[in-house]
Amino acid sequence: MNMELSRRQFLGAVGAGAAATALGSLGFGEIEAAHAEAIRAFKLVSTTETRNTCPYCSVACGVIMYSKGDRTKGEKAEIIHIEGDTDHPTNRGTLCPKGAALLDFVKSETRLKYPMIRKPGSDKFERVSWDEALDRIVRLMKDDRDANFVERNEAGVPVNRWTTTGFLAASATTNETAWETYKVVRSAGMLVFDNQARV
Amino acid sequence: MKRKDAAAPDPTAIGDVSSPPFARLPDPASLFSVRSHRLRQLAEASDLAPYLNFVAALAVVQHDIQADLPLAEPPDAGAVLRAREFEMPPLHRHGMEGGETINMIFDRLFAAADAIEKPAPAADALARVVAADPKARLAMADTVLSGSLPADAIAEHIFVWAALQVHFARLASLLDEKKLTPVADGVCPSCGGRPVSSMVVGWPGSHGARFCSCSLCCTLWHYVRVKCVLCGSTKGISYREIEDHGGIVKAETCDECHGWTKIFYQTREPAAEPIADDVASLSLDLLMREGLYHRGGFAPLLAGF
Repeated sequence: MNMELSRRQFLGAVGAGAAATALGSLGFGEIEAAHAEAIRAFKLVSTTETRNTCPYCSVACGVIMYSKGDRTKGEKAEIIHIEGDTDHPTNRGTLCPKGAALLDFVKSETRLKYPMIRKPGSDKFERVSWDEALDRIVRLMKDDRDANFVERNEAGVPVNRWTTTGFLAASATTNETAWETYKVVRSAGMLVFDNQARV
Repeated sequence: MKRKDAAAPDPTAIGDVSSPPFARLPDPASLFSVRSHRLRQLAEASDLAPYLNFVAALAVVQHDIQADLPLAEPPDAGAVLRAREFEMPPLHRHGMEGGETINMIFDRLFAAADAIEKPAPAADALARVVAADPKARLAMADTVLSGSLPADAIAEHIFVWAALQVHFARLASLLDEKKLTPVADGVCPSCGGRPVSSMVVGWPGSHGARFCSCSLCCTLWHYVRVKCVLCGSTKGISYREIEDHGGIVKAETCDECHGWTKIFYQTREPAAEPIADDVASLSLDLLMREGLYHRGGFAPLLAGF
């Protein structure tokens, strides 16, 4: 490979003419020159194809996302197409109707991009910061747990149950995240525990 | 489990599952004629028409001579087994010395190519190849197999390469498709040749899969997408395409080895053919030449770009 490069650099450096290409060598040099002139206005654009996992359910289908623009090269990127990944062993190129509509999901105007809250009695959502959102969630969970935690059942047997709060986990998680989620939720005593994957 | 068929379909199967074969061997009886048709089709709407028509005529010659050749002998079964054991391609690229067939192919192809309408430099180059003795021809064949053509004799080597394609496509067509195994990144599992380009195919049952096309024996082999065809890296893969040209062909660039290769999307252009469309998309080579990446693989018909 490097040999190829050095040969080309060498030819470029010595200013080898049209004969150094296949077209020139076969006598089509003029056509090559005319073609080079004709495409002068053409412009190359970067696109990328990126593998990812469909976020909907626990099947975790592989998808390929096509973008215009390459962020790794400092450009703005925009997703233009999403399709099932043929090389992925789980779905082998297929997608269910929800997965097939992922592009609309990505571009949806109503897509949730930051924490929002609809306070009791209010009829609209308001944007809040992550800190506010997390503090509020933690406060409410703690208050609820303190008020309703069941340490022992009627027979006096320790049960450590917290049944008044439930937890719905996301599906596009790694094994590690799933493990951690399970440990946190179960050790807090929560029984109502499910995964978005089943929705 | 109950058999599922058209009358009792399987409700759990959503969409068409793609199960691409690892390799698809060339069929010499159709390979070159399909290519020549595609080249003529492309020539109708290209300012490269004279060159495309010349390459089409060369493909017609390849097609015509393969039909009259005596049946190729399948490669030695023991050698094929041994090659598999050591993860080598079953066809030997070297060791054509003394082979009657290759000399017959050289003679017939060069004789038939004489009738092609071509510019003087091409005719001169052909005359030089015709005049070369068998030893010199084999030396040129070795140069072609090395994957790097001498800048002062590209035309001669293109004729030799055309003959070698006929030879190796015939041999590859005799292999057992199901017994081929991956050899290495960027290496043909049949003959060890380098890829000319790759293509996302739209074949039923393999849709969306990418196949590399061997520059020598024209075997197509499945290769994971978004992965460098040259070095196997999955990092830093990006695509460059000519703006507003339909995205039929892109340059797949790799930041690890700084190489690029062409990738065609048969899903967008069902008639795309790895070599015909490669030649017709010279504009991409010209534009990529100004960039940081060098073209990898082996494309004699676009040598020097």
